Amino acid sequence: MGRLSHHRGPLSLVLLGVAFLAILGACSAPQTTFDPRSDTADNIHTLYILVIVVSGAVGAVVLLVMGYLLFRFRARPGVPARQIHGNSKLEVAWTLGPILLLIMVGVPTVFGIVGAARAPSADAILITVTAHQWWWEVDYEGLGPDGGSLATANEIHIPVGREVAIHLESDDVIHSFWVPALIGKVDAVPNHPNDLPVFTATEIGSFYGQCAEFCGAAHALMRFRVIVEPLADFERWVSALQTPPPPPDQGTFVASGQAIFISSCSRCHTVFGTPAAGKAGPDLTLFGERLTLGAGIMDNTPENVEAWVTDLRAIKPIPEGLLGGRADREAMPTFAGTLSKDEIAAVTAYIQSQTID
Amino acid sequence: MAANIGILRRPIAPTGVWGWMTTVDHKKIGVLYGVTAIVFFVLAGVEALVMRAQLAQADSDLVGAEAFNALFTMHGTTMVFMVIMPMGAAFFNFMIPLMIGARDVAFPRLNALSYWLFLFGAILMNVSFFNSSAPDAGWFAYAPLTSTEYSGSSGVDYWILGLQVLGIGTLSAGFNFVVTIVNLRAPGMTLMRMPVFVWMTLIISFLIIFAFPVITVAITMLLFDRFFGTTIYDVSAGADPLLWQHLFWVFGHPEVYILILPAMGIVSDILPTFSRKPLFGYMTIVMAGTVIAFMGFGVWAHHMFTVGLGTWAISAFSIATMGIAVPTGVKVFNWLATLYGGSITFKTPLLFALGFISMFMLGGLSGVMHAVVPVDTQQQDTYFVVAHFHYVLFGGSVFGLTAGLYYWFPKITGRMMSERLGKLHFWLMLIGFNMTFFPMHILGVLGMPRRIYTYSGDQGWEGINTFVSIGSLVVASAIAVMLLNMFRSARVGQPAGNNPWGAPTLEWAIPSPPPHYNFAVVPTVRSLYPLWDEEANVVEPPELPHFDETAIHMPSPSYWPMLMAAGITLAAGGLLVWQWHTIFGLIVSSSSGLLVLYSIYRWAFEPVIAAEALEDVHH
Repeated sequence: MGRLSHHRGPLSLVLLGVAFLAILGACSAPQTTFDPRSDTADNIHTLYILVIVVSGAVGAVVLLVMGYLLFRFRARPGVPARQIHGNSKLEVAWTLGPILLLIMVGVPTVFGIVGAARAPSADAILITVTAHQWWWEVDYEGLGPDGGSLATANEIHIPVGREVAIHLESDDVIHSFWVPALIGKVDAVPNHPNDLPVFTATEIGSFYGQCAEFCGAAHALMRFRVIVEPLADFERWVSALQTPPPPPDQGTFVASGQAIFISSCSRCHTVFGTPAAGKAGPDLTLFGERLTLGAGIMDNTPENVEAWVTDLRAIKPIPEGLLGGRADREAMPTFAGTLSKDEIAAVTAYIQSQTID
Repeated sequence: MAANIGILRRPIAPTGVWGWMTTVDHKKIGVLYGVTAIVFFVLAGVEALVMRAQLAQADSDLVGAEAFNALFTMHGTTMVFMVIMPMGAAFFNFMIPLMIGARDVAFPRLNALSYWLFLFGAILMNVSFFNSSAPDAGWFAYAPLTSTEYSGSSGVDYWILGLQVLGIGTLSAGFNFVVTIVNLRAPGMTLMRMPVFVWMTLIISFLIIFAFPVITVAITMLLFDRFFGTTIYDVSAGADPLLWQHLFWVFGHPEVYILILPAMGIVSDILPTFSRKPLFGYMTIVMAGTVIAFMGFGVWAHHMFTVGLGTWAISAFSIATMGIAVPTGVKVFNWLATLYGGSITFKTPLLFALGFISMFMLGGLSGVMHAVVPVDTQQQDTYFVVAHFHYVLFGGSVFGLTAGLYYWFPKITGRMMSERLGKLHFWLMLIGFNMTFFPMHILGVLGMPRRIYTYSGDQGWEGINTFVSIGSLVVASAIAVMLLNMFRSARVGQPAGNNPWGAPTLEWAIPSPPPHYNFAVVPTVRSLYPLWDEEANVVEPPELPHFDETAIHMPSPSYWPMLMAAGITLAAGGLLVWQWHTIFGLIVSSSSGLLVLYSIYRWAFEPVIAAEALEDVHH
């Protein structure tokens, strides 16, 4: 956008304003759409700038012409209005003019649509994301310990520079998967699986994602992260997920936490390689590596985990009981009445101890 | 006196509240529509202000998620169905017969029925607030979120039933206005001599006739899913929830044009009046309107670019959507060309019309951005979209309808609105509107999704949201000035006379407010601008010596339309009772159904003009 700022006149002022806002956004808002960090997002961004420039120019010209006409033809004594009924040539001209502008925008649009639909390459990372009210189930195809899928939740690790193909499903209502820095949104529709356009992340970092389709009470708090890391880190993470964790030392606080976890949490949560193998809630294997909890809504600190387990409804408006009336989708209960403060602290210590090393 | 075996005597020339309840006069019905729309406008505005208060700060807990979700659902539903549509209907009702030189609409009692169904349907839906189960699945109510599994409370039921009742009224109004415009034009008023507002009303009426059955069917199926256990949208029974989206938007996109075309008609009639010259390219503007209406049925899937429709379907809908910008652009250019060479006086109606053109155009341009599908995947369901449709529907429809309000208020009440307050209203509204909605584009660019009741401080959205919320207060103050202006002017405004603006169309030929029979003598029309071409046209002949207004027989008032509307609404309400208690519900629904049948029967056999009214004349 910077190159446009040399030009003078009101039009470039408008564009300058847009550029300024874009830079402003890129600096301070982590979920901005104006800071692409993948090839696909970058293609979208180029098109985005094109349409902003074209529409901004049209808007500015029309407003200026309108302002001029209003000033020039304001009522003045002794100057009667000229009784003009129309002009066919002019009208044809301003029918054809916009058509030409639209072709300018339409052709790259169709190329963009078709280009985004390409098939993933042979070495692409294949991920199935299943949206639930109000969290994300993530399965890596073929990376599981037995060649099956490898499960995690709410935080998606991908290697930088490798193509990623995400297959989207929904377990209940319609959601929408969106990581502005990496990929435009595609809806997760039950009974209507979709594939995101393939993309290759170009930079390392932790990127914000959020559900973009209204999906019920806690829609605003259905967020996630995509962690783009060097291939070696990604492979280390995958192999740690495939390996059963060593049992905690007997008699420790963490060991007591694991016992409580298995008795109170395992009906819904999985920690790979332990008796906890529930499927109703997010997979918590390697939870200690997570940056956030509650579907990307707060930092993964002991205080936050304890608050969440104690009374998640004080944090996130999740109804009680069976979500969608389904026996396999029981909402997480409030543990304030069933577990003591110490027990909750022990569970927290246990799941946060689940790290790579 | 002829016998009338009703529950009550048929009103002949009633006054007061009873007069309003039984009226079949298109002008009174128009006023009822307008006043009701303004009441709901204030309600929807309050809903918006509460949402803005909630979003003014990050991590705010002013209202909870449930309340917020109900607020945006009801704000959208109310603005579309209970404010903008009925405000348009207010002007159709009051103005169309006057503009085409008719004494009333084709079916005056059906017209009353339309109004009462609108009012009762709107009330039925809003009663849900008192039952603390306001609809909360969004105004486009995507399946399967609306199923009983995911929306257990009766909020969605209120939404379905209220909309269904409203819809019957809207559909009957659509038929009524097609028949009125096609059949009741004064001699000499060919189609190409109709004011643009009449043309747009005709087009909208056809849009209603073709679009509303789709939503009616869609919500009837949803009703069957929720009440009687069918599985049309039931994912667990194998349904593809995109069925709902297709049906909703096949209705929903033409609906957008139902909301915007009245404003386009109003502006096309206001611009010539205040630039003292004919509309530039009248024929082109009319044709552009019809082309927009046709194309409006072929672009619905642009609301669904991210749902996974496949490459070629998306490309086709993208191109079609860009195509609709062409006739829209032609309209804007013709409006500007109307200003060229004019002698422009900046009265409040013109200011709002100019506000309409500029703000609507900005909304149209962001609409073209959405048609660029890859870009739309970054904009869909964000505040960028919220900004876009508020530029179209607030900057467009509401500004246009407000222009109509200032333009026609003198005709409706006989008094001018205050220009000083009007100009204050305009500038507050223009500034407040842009403060509120322009920054929403930036919020969208910064990745803020719509329909979120809260966001965290680290998102970097708080400053802009605070600014937007302040802007919404400026809009609220503009609306307060408008209400003040209306109340004050209706009582103490300057008398308007027949034609205060020096306007060219027929409604300005008769006194303000018009007598109940409109035209003493039905005029003969010889041009598009009859009052500007006095030589060629005799519109209102000099008062005839023997003119006796009692010789004009207008349809007599009737309470059957209102009773029938009440019956339909109670039958719908009975279903809500049925959820709570089957037998009570059946009793309410079936007895209301009988009331509907009885009302239809009495209506059918009631003479249009009561015998008593005729007798009075001959005494």
